[in-house]
Amino acid sequence: MISGLVQILLFQSLGEVISKFVLPTLPGPVIGLVLLVLWLVLRKEVNEHLATVADGFSQYFGLLFVPAAVGVVLFLPQLKANALAIICALVGSVVLTIGSSAIVVRFLSSKVSDE
Amino acid sequence: MSEKHSIVEIWVYLSGSPLFALFITLAAYQIGLWVYKSTKQNPLANPVAIAIILVATVIQSIDMPYSSYFEGAQFIHFLLGSATVSLAIPIYRGLSSLKGRSIPLIFSLIAGGLVSIFSAVNIASLLGAGSSITGAMYPKSVTAPIAMGIAERIGVSPTLTAIFAVATGILGAILAPFVLNALGMKEWWQRGFAIGIGAHGIGTSRAFSIHPEAGTYASLAMGMNGVISAVAIPIIYHLFN
Repeated sequence: MISGLVQILLFQSLGEVISKFVLPTLPGPVIGLVLLVLWLVLRKEVNEHLATVADGFSQYFGLLFVPAAVGVVLFLPQLKANALAIICALVGSVVLTIGSSAIVVRFLSSKVSDE
Repeated sequence: MSEKHSIVEIWVYLSGSPLFALFITLAAYQIGLWVYKSTKQNPLANPVAIAIILVATVIQSIDMPYSSYFEGAQFIHFLLGSATVSLAIPIYRGLSSLKGRSIPLIFSLIAGGLVSIFSAVNIASLLGAGSSITGAMYPKSVTAPIAMGIAERIGVSPTLTAIFAVATGILGAILAPFVLNALGMKEWWQRGFAIGIGAHGIGTSRAFSIHPEAGTYASLAMGMNGVISAVAIPIIYHLFN
């Protein structure tokens, strides 16, 4: 558990340092993520400590959004004034996004398997 | 010292320490999980949405400013960065089961990502939303921690972005089965991938609970979408603003 956390924090710190000094356009955790993927591809395995921590995070991912999203209280008047636009945009966009991704992936994979 | 006085003192002490914010956040999430389980995992009873509504109601009813709540809750918020890094593990697992499907997946990701941005921004602005709202919609199909990082970089509100991202995840988890059935999508990996692009983390955990292959591809889609969007969205945003 601790060893897994140490590995995650190490890659996160590496990401933050690179983001600060080399690649300021990318958030540090994203750089850390990419570096960790590359490291895993090189090592060709996920050690069990890392897997334990990652599965723990993914199980409770939702909890971590709560503090930021409670900031909704600061935007209530703005959200209420634009409620119709926001609801239509979010619902319409979700349906179109899932639909278009599904159609493209099916179309291209049927072409691949035909050949 | 009167009893009332001492209760006020205890309250002042507790609400000034991180303990109170941490407690209500975890307790609200626990209640959310409990409701979710007791409704047999109905997507409408999303534990994250329940927790957000509960915490917002509590801090409003005791007149606690959001900034003092966040001072305590930032310890949970901090872990978002670590959780983002840990997405590397599902991405790696997904990569090892790609089996020559990478071309359809990459094009599907690009199509879905662009449709997500332009449909949300255009529908919202057609219906009269201002630029602070439409700006926060750009990263809404990206998993919340990366979406908030992108929001900071393009100068829109990370909070609004987080709200839109969470709402998108919940809506996607609810609507995806209907959309995919209406289109006659049969392959689990294709269904999972589309859910991961459209509904990131919340959709992914839904996909895992339906079928493991759908879940693996959903988390691969979510991770790839996050990384590509972190590069592409700031560029797209500055092209149009």
